Amino acid sequence: MTFRLTCPVCGKRDIYEFTFGGQERGPRPDQEGLSAEEHFRWVQFRMIPGAGAGPQHEWWYHGQGCGVWFRTTRDPMTNREVDG
Amino acid sequence: MTAPTGRLTPGPTCRVDFSRPLAFRFLGRPMTGFAGDTVASALYANGVRIFGRSLKYHRPRGLYSMEGESSNTLMEIDGVPNECAETTELRDGMSVRAQNVRGDPRTDRFAFIDAFDRLMPAGFYYRMFHRPYGMWPFFQNGLRRMAGTGVLDPRRELEGGGQANGVQAERYLNADVAVIGGGPAGMAAALAAAESGMRVCLFERRGWLGGHLAWRIREYEGGQLHRRGKEMAADLQAAELVNVFTKSPVTGVWGENLVTGYTVGGEDDPFRECHWECRAKVVVVASGCMERPLVFDHNDRPGVMQAGTALRLARTYAVMPGKAAVVSVADDLSLEAAVDLADLGVELRAVADAREPGRQDPASVAALEERGIPFLPGWAVSRAIGRKRVSGCELRALSGAESRRLRCDLLVANAGWQPRIGALATAGARLAYCSHTHTFQPAELPDGVFTAGSLTGLRDPRSIEASGRLAGYRAAEWCGGEAPGLASALRECESRPGPEPGCDICHGPAIGRGAKAFVDLDEDGTWKDVVESAAQGFDVPELAKRFGGFGLGPGQYRVTGQNLAMIMADLRGDPIEAAMPTTVRPPLVPPSLATLAGPGHDVNKRTPLHGELAARGAVFRRAGPWLRARYFGADPRLAPGVDRGTVGGRRSGRGSAEADRELREEILNVRHNVGLLDSSPLGKFRIFGPDALKALQRVYISDISKTRPGRCKYSAMCNDMAHVLDDGAIIQDSERKYYFTTSSGRAGSTVEWFRYHTRHDGWDYHLVSLTDAFGSINLAGPNARRVLERVTDDDVSNEAFPYMGCRRITVAGVEVRCLRLGFVGELSFELHVPSSYCQFVWDLLMDAGADFGIRPFGLEAQYCLRAEKGHIIVGAESEARVTLTDLGMGWLWDREDTASKKVGAPALRACEKQPGRMKLVGFRVEEGSPRDGALVVDGGEIVGYVCTTRRSEVLGWQYGMALVREGHAVRGDRIRIREDGGRGGRTTWSATVVDPPFYDPAGERLRA
Repeated sequence: MTFRLTCPVCGKRDIYEFTFGGQERGPRPDQEGLSAEEHFRWVQFRMIPGAGAGPQHEWWYHGQGCGVWFRTTRDPMTNREVDG
Repeated sequence: MTAPTGRLTPGPTCRVDFSRPLAFRFLGRPMTGFAGDTVASALYANGVRIFGRSLKYHRPRGLYSMEGESSNTLMEIDGVPNECAETTELRDGMSVRAQNVRGDPRTDRFAFIDAFDRLMPAGFYYRMFHRPYGMWPFFQNGLRRMAGTGVLDPRRELEGGGQANGVQAERYLNADVAVIGGGPAGMAAALAAAESGMRVCLFERRGWLGGHLAWRIREYEGGQLHRRGKEMAADLQAAELVNVFTKSPVTGVWGENLVTGYTVGGEDDPFRECHWECRAKVVVVASGCMERPLVFDHNDRPGVMQAGTALRLARTYAVMPGKAAVVSVADDLSLEAAVDLADLGVELRAVADAREPGRQDPASVAALEERGIPFLPGWAVSRAIGRKRVSGCELRALSGAESRRLRCDLLVANAGWQPRIGALATAGARLAYCSHTHTFQPAELPDGVFTAGSLTGLRDPRSIEASGRLAGYRAAEWCGGEAPGLASALRECESRPGPEPGCDICHGPAIGRGAKAFVDLDEDGTWKDVVESAAQGFDVPELAKRFGGFGLGPGQYRVTGQNLAMIMADLRGDPIEAAMPTTVRPPLVPPSLATLAGPGHDVNKRTPLHGELAARGAVFRRAGPWLRARYFGADPRLAPGVDRGTVGGRRSGRGSAEADRELREEILNVRHNVGLLDSSPLGKFRIFGPDALKALQRVYISDISKTRPGRCKYSAMCNDMAHVLDDGAIIQDSERKYYFTTSSGRAGSTVEWFRYHTRHDGWDYHLVSLTDAFGSINLAGPNARRVLERVTDDDVSNEAFPYMGCRRITVAGVEVRCLRLGFVGELSFELHVPSSYCQFVWDLLMDAGADFGIRPFGLEAQYCLRAEKGHIIVGAESEARVTLTDLGMGWLWDREDTASKKVGAPALRACEKQPGRMKLVGFRVEEGSPRDGALVVDGGEIVGYVCTTRRSEVLGWQYGMALVREGHAVRGDRIRIREDGGRGGRTTWSATVVDPPFYDPAGERLRA
């Protein structure tokens, strides 16, 4: 399995150059006033990925290149970036 | 040139140079071949007919294909097992051995196994010999000894810089169009694409271009076919935009048209095999066809071969394939080969063709008649006769009971042709059975993949060429280029003959009379096995493949795939159109493992003091990307080098006694005197900007706003699961400028980590890694200050520069940042020196400390020193199950701060009161010395393990740290430590739980 991603700075590059940063979950939620139980669920939410079959928003890091974190929309069924 | 004995007079298509004889040995017997021979052709020319023995039944096996389609001719060549004799070029002095035999393949001691096939039905490995269960290991070992392919010799000398098979290389290519296959279609495609301005890479498995044209001498449109092949090859070599790779099999096509494969190096190449990856915009698959085997009784006997094998032996290698032959085929190309064989002097006793009368190429039929060769349309071979070699065969009419027995020493058999669909299948093409060509054809092609040539069922040479041209122009068009020839190529394709009808025969008449008829030569999978698989319910090709092992051998899908699908459709009573191919998996052609492993560069980083450390006898080890000094050996036998053993942990390799002595001295010198450590790999960062503090507050678990200029703040980073990732010191330089250190291992991923956890915030800060710009020298020991005072005029007294302070001091004109930390538990100064001045400062310190007996110490000493102090190293005393609080470092956590949304804080809160967590505890062993990794047991239950344990020279006892489930190791408890030996032996120790630090619990020494 191999594919390419479009780095906003460097353009299309091989997947080897990137590291995956998980699906987009929005900014970190507020921690103010959460109970331990709520905290636990929050951690679970952070860690357990969704497993939808369609396109998803993802974070990628161009570690072997310019070092930028960027967001892209990718369909894991085809491993191709899609407009989103 | 006249041919040597046993060889034919070389024709125009011959590739063997009789003026260059090569001597080689087969099982010790001297033999002669010639330049241009493959190992297989040379062996065949020397009269070898049995090349090896089969996997399961130890049946004699001979030359079946010329392209490595089966494991029949896998041999041990120059000590390397599983080399394909059919595709390996003969070299002078080669030593060749047969595989899976005891002794000579002609008289294999395990040949008797063939008679015991009842014990080995389909799936026997999963079903038999398992009762009683305890006996299975016995049978398993026996089976493994008797079955299998080549054997690796672990004692084999490693040559070529420690690499088993010489030098491996790798190459990364980029092309507009990648063409797979250097036959007429592939060449035409490459030429057309290049003509349209595309950069083309063409990959051909053989050592030459031309495909099937390379050995065909039939006259066609004013010239022999092989001449047309040579013409095109010359055009291709002259085309500027085309890069031709021969001897380069493709191993697979991957996402977004990445074509992978390898090139076999010749005498002039600097490598033995070179792995390559070619990223292309378009892939043109023109991989051609191979013969589909006919399944009939004893179809694996030496002497049974493909039509192409027989013809190529004669035409390419000038070797007579046999004296008297019977041919049973199902297509026109093979009929042409039969006529050609007859003209070369092979006596054809009969030619059977499985197709009904009237479907054959009239020219070939007329040529057979002209030569007086009996032609039997509607017939096929039903049995090969002869045990170690074919001595005859039985032909039968496909309808009716007529049969004939003929004597022969060569049996050319196939069931027509099947496309080489491997590259297409790995590219993701969906394949479906085509009832016109009786092959699997792509029902749907992935984006940017085109097909051309005989793969698509074309047989007419000009049709094949035209289809290649069309594919080349289409490829250029796909790339966005101009393809002016497209319209005319399309017209030409339409005017030429289209795909020719194929034949749906897959097994010979009267099969199933008890004799073995092989569907899969590699795994000894027979027709009966397929029937049994179906009867057991494994009646889908994919299931039968797992159950009976069909197509799992080196030949993979190629020999077995289509026949298995066709037979299974037949057995299920499905229409033939419902036949489903099994999944083809890469590598399509196996490269050696050494090639996949790559050239094995040891790319490492060296500290600015590397040369200095080496000169002082440092023994280096790899630590992350760095080479670091483990310890310094005064003994010349402990020469500098990379060593992976563990000193002090009692698992060291060479010179461990000396190493332990050196280590002890290094430790004691730091405790009692002063030592010097090169800690340059330490991560060093500057962060500045209006939002720098916010970023620090996010990733560090402590309140970083409390840092003050001139002070080091110790803190840790956690991940979202509250596991400790890193610890280090943070220093405020000015209001918006900070400096911080990370552990060596985290230096590389710190920037990524900061940016990840602030990615939504749009904060304005800059993070710069100074890790490589600054070296780090740690001056530690009770005499450290006295040494430092000699090289600087700055006040470094305890009052002016207290513990946890940070100052910029000047050492002989060099400004260095000096941190008073206490990792090793003594008074110490960590000097962050510009890399280029490291050697200078080091020399000054060594000179200044000479009176005291200063000496460098290494990583091992530091490891022990900090462990005595109870300071953890992330990864040594922490792991993925323990959080900051579990390690007893919860005091670092700023619990009140929820506003900065600290990474790890929610998880820390969530599991703070969770019962049964692993906690880090210290212990003192009463007697003896367990090793790192020993178990902590409570009764019979394992409750934890020892992370680090060492015997302390200063304390005089063995201390250690362990992760133990909460409640099983409270301070003052006695715990049991256990090591399980190899043969059920167990050693246990008693220890008392004590709180770290073990050494200097009050911390007076580092504040001195």
